[in-house]
Amino acid sequence: MGVEAPAYRRSGRPPPWRDVRMLRLLFQIVVVGGVVVIGLWLFGNLATNLDRQGIRTDFDYLDRSAGFAIAGSDFKSSDPVWRALVVGVKNTAIVSGAGILLASILGVVIGVSRLSPNWLIARAASLYVEAVRNIPVLVIIIFMYIAVILKLPSIGNASELFGILVISNSGLVVASVEAAGGGAPLFAASLAVAAVVAVVVLIRRTRRFDRTGQPHHRVLWGAGTFLIIAVVAFVATGTPVAMSLPQRQEFGVTGGIRMSPEFAALLAGLFIYTASHIAEIVRGSILAVSRGQSEAARALGLTEFQRYRFVVLPQALRIMIPPLANQYLNLTKNSSLAVFIAYPEITRITRIAIGQGNPAPQGILILMGIYLFFSLTISAITNLVNRRLTYVTS
Amino acid sequence: MSETGTSAGPMIVCERVGKWFGDFQALKTVDLEVDRQEVVVVMGPSGSGKSTLIRCINRLEKHDAGRIVVDGIEMSDDLRNIQEIRREVGMVFQQFNLFPHLTVLENVTLAPRQVRHKPKREAEEIAMLQLERVQIPEQALKYPGQLSGGQQQRVAIARALAMQPKVMLFDEPTSALDPEMIKEVLDAMLELARSGMTMIVVTHEMGFAREVAGRMVFMDDGQVVEIGTPEHFFTNPREERTKKFLSQIL
Amino acid sequence: MATDTSTLEPLPIPEPDRPAYRAKPKDWVRENLFSGPVNSIVTIVGALVIAFLAYRALRFLFVTARWEAVHVNLTNYMVGGFPRDELWRLWAAVYLLTLLGGMRWGVSVHRTRPTDGRAEASWRAPLRRFWPFIVFALVVVGLSASPVTAAALLGVGMTAFIGRVAGIRVPPRGVRWVTILFILGCVAAFEVMVAFGGVPYPDWRGLMLTLFLSLGGILLSFPLGVLLALGRRSTFPAIRALSVAYIELIRGVPLITLLFMAFLVLGFFLPPGTQTPSLVARALIAFVLFTAAYVAEVVRGGLQAVPNEQVEAAQALGLSPVKITALIVLPQALRAVIPAMVGQFISLFKDTSLAASIGLAELLRVAEQINGQPRFTGHGLQAETLGFAAFVFWVGAYWMSKTSQRLEKRLGVGER
Repeated sequence: MGVEAPAYRRSGRPPPWRDVRMLRLLFQIVVVGGVVVIGLWLFGNLATNLDRQGIRTDFDYLDRSAGFAIAGSDFKSSDPVWRALVVGVKNTAIVSGAGILLASILGVVIGVSRLSPNWLIARAASLYVEAVRNIPVLVIIIFMYIAVILKLPSIGNASELFGILVISNSGLVVASVEAAGGGAPLFAASLAVAAVVAVVVLIRRTRRFDRTGQPHHRVLWGAGTFLIIAVVAFVATGTPVAMSLPQRQEFGVTGGIRMSPEFAALLAGLFIYTASHIAEIVRGSILAVSRGQSEAARALGLTEFQRYRFVVLPQALRIMIPPLANQYLNLTKNSSLAVFIAYPEITRITRIAIGQGNPAPQGILILMGIYLFFSLTISAITNLVNRRLTYVTS
Repeated sequence: MSETGTSAGPMIVCERVGKWFGDFQALKTVDLEVDRQEVVVVMGPSGSGKSTLIRCINRLEKHDAGRIVVDGIEMSDDLRNIQEIRREVGMVFQQFNLFPHLTVLENVTLAPRQVRHKPKREAEEIAMLQLERVQIPEQALKYPGQLSGGQQQRVAIARALAMQPKVMLFDEPTSALDPEMIKEVLDAMLELARSGMTMIVVTHEMGFAREVAGRMVFMDDGQVVEIGTPEHFFTNPREERTKKFLSQIL
Repeated sequence: MATDTSTLEPLPIPEPDRPAYRAKPKDWVRENLFSGPVNSIVTIVGALVIAFLAYRALRFLFVTARWEAVHVNLTNYMVGGFPRDELWRLWAAVYLLTLLGGMRWGVSVHRTRPTDGRAEASWRAPLRRFWPFIVFALVVVGLSASPVTAAALLGVGMTAFIGRVAGIRVPPRGVRWVTILFILGCVAAFEVMVAFGGVPYPDWRGLMLTLFLSLGGILLSFPLGVLLALGRRSTFPAIRALSVAYIELIRGVPLITLLFMAFLVLGFFLPPGTQTPSLVARALIAFVLFTAAYVAEVVRGGLQAVPNEQVEAAQALGLSPVKITALIVLPQALRAVIPAMVGQFISLFKDTSLAASIGLAELLRVAEQINGQPRFTGHGLQAETLGFAAFVFWVGAYWMSKTSQRLEKRLGVGER
């Protein structure tokens, strides 16, 4: 039923200034162009100014010798700058990793405590969260350093805890394990074997549960198997591992792993602060699992423990992951506050390097790049975990 | 109230209109003509393309093939054409889509003030007139959240009418309403039809169609299957598909 | 055959409906603290630990701590090295702001409960809302041991209430004027501090600087953040790429790197020969660039919450894209994210402590500097000085987070 409508008005291609497609393109060009122009102006100025002040714009300085030493490592002042950066990255990773671990544990404990039916515990946990959350993390770190660690007794009067921990104002020393005697590789190998056997036992118990419905107690069985094999191997290879206990000597402590007071303060500040945020996230996620879920679980006759294990926690976990990852990211970024208390992580080292006359623009660029790398890594891992855990829709 | 057109031709012409969503063809060479002051009811199963068609008429969707001409203006990439057509075409949605942060009065006066540049007093007069027309003038200072579904839809109608359009498009206006509120909305639409507005209504309300439709269009699978008067449809539909569809809803 | 019911026990008479179970203190204790063996042990151990910690804390606060360092330096904490003979400017500004702020507060009481006459006269509710500030005022008075300070602070409190009472009396038509008056008042307060031989903002220190950086930071970052959020959701690929790049870059790096950049490198981006901006200005720029990225994410959440149908309805009415964004999308989006924005402000408030890294004597740095004063150096008073700084931060952040929670509740239920 084709009809020739008297479209006497404006058919055919519209003029460009009214063509919506042109307008869209034009708008993009204007905005992007504006940004590019401003960017060029800024970087033009940068180049000119650097030139005038004789600051080079290449990265050769990385190979020059640093001119400063780093406490607590074997970095000498004659080593190249780039090696200093590597040490910094390592330290950042260590303090961030340890911080994430401790903060998660403490955070979960406190978050769950806030939901406890025991009024005292719940209130105490709430108090912790409300008190710590509202104080800047930098204040907590500095407080930990100046008002706590440095106020600890000196080595001579250091307190020993159960023989495995020595606390003083020059740091903490924790007992560690080290190889003693030649049986160590064999022992390590047998540990691996023990792990494999334990996993097999786990799978078999689970299958038995599927078949017969009898409770599997697989954790007990798996852990028990692992322990038995480990102990047997330990004895059979001639006790190849020994504890290195911190021994207080006259001028210091031998043995064990030492943590500088700066590291201890930074770690303590970071994980205390982040734990309060994680506690809130945990609590919020558990509460976010709708009450209908719990009601259905109860109606089915599941015990409280089963309700948590099979219904509430799996759902809460999915809700938790993005904000939790955000907190981990924040902790990693907050480790940069070590500049204030002289722990040689990457930000502090960059600052020192710049102070020694290395060019600032490149230094800051590299610094930002390193943190971006950390951020992207944590984001990528989070996305992976998230994707595996998302609910299946059609 | 529809003004008389500047030309004597049909109000809306769709000529060989096609539309793709990716690989899926939602509209396949649709030909449709709507005369001035005519009421056309479009029906069909879900996915038949009826919503897509009327959304193409006011450019909420962009058609990929064919021509759409509204009151002599062709729908193209020309910004001026699009703006003019949108001023002349009013639309009422299934989900009302009232602006929750504005009062009823503000909802209705927004477009006249911002698009037709009417002064506030005049816009409010027009608004109150339309609100009276749909019989809810007393709700003018309330917020959409405080009204029932039927009242909200009537506000939506008033909001579209305040722009004094020449054509009104209705996309399943009563489908989201509880049964007891459908009548009040249909009554408003009836009054509108009787006052001479050109309307295209996508709906399942056969009673409404029987009463005011000049023609009815049955669409299926992106095509116009059958067009005719309501009498024709209800007593003697021609196509098999039409018969099957009607048997399911009547 | 009918069942022989004669041997059945008589049915027990149902108990009359008991009134709602009101827990007597003894029962409540039993339920919440000692409901089972595990619970009881936990309670006892917990109580012991808490009592011990509380004892140590209280002993520190009231017995062993030496608060002279704080007592002597209270003014330093608040305003750093602000010339003492210009302090009248500060007090004038404070009184102006509390008066107008009180009015704005009174006006809003009016709006949420227009017919509840009782709410007007209620004194208890506002007290409950502002108790952190009252505690703060009491602590400051206690530490300063000065009747003048006490009088001044009391004056501030009374001004706020006077403003509130005045604000309640304002008719609905005048609401907009009160808000405008408040904004003008903020500008005026700033001018009082700065103009006619006053102290320009680059010289502000202490808590004053902290507040300046936080407020300035959040206000200036807001427009940039909204633009970035709109850009991120834009259908124009180039614009979206730019926005995403900025947001992800800034969010991936610590604030301190931006402060370093501002401190060391910002000057290089300006044409040669221009004067380097003041330290405070540079810090402010760093905070603005940083916060804008986070504000962008917050606003993005709000934008996503506005259903697409709203945009369609506005399009169908013929509104232009700019008008649609400004009149329909943004009002709804921004209203939805007010609690999250307050959260962002709280973060910024705490983050201003990092300005110390580039040498600015904001609140935290002042606390550290006090330890270096000749009179107090070497006395190990860090716990006291830092503790007070921490307390000030805490008061501000805690009050704001409680306000945000209240706002969330109100926005969820309100008619708008």
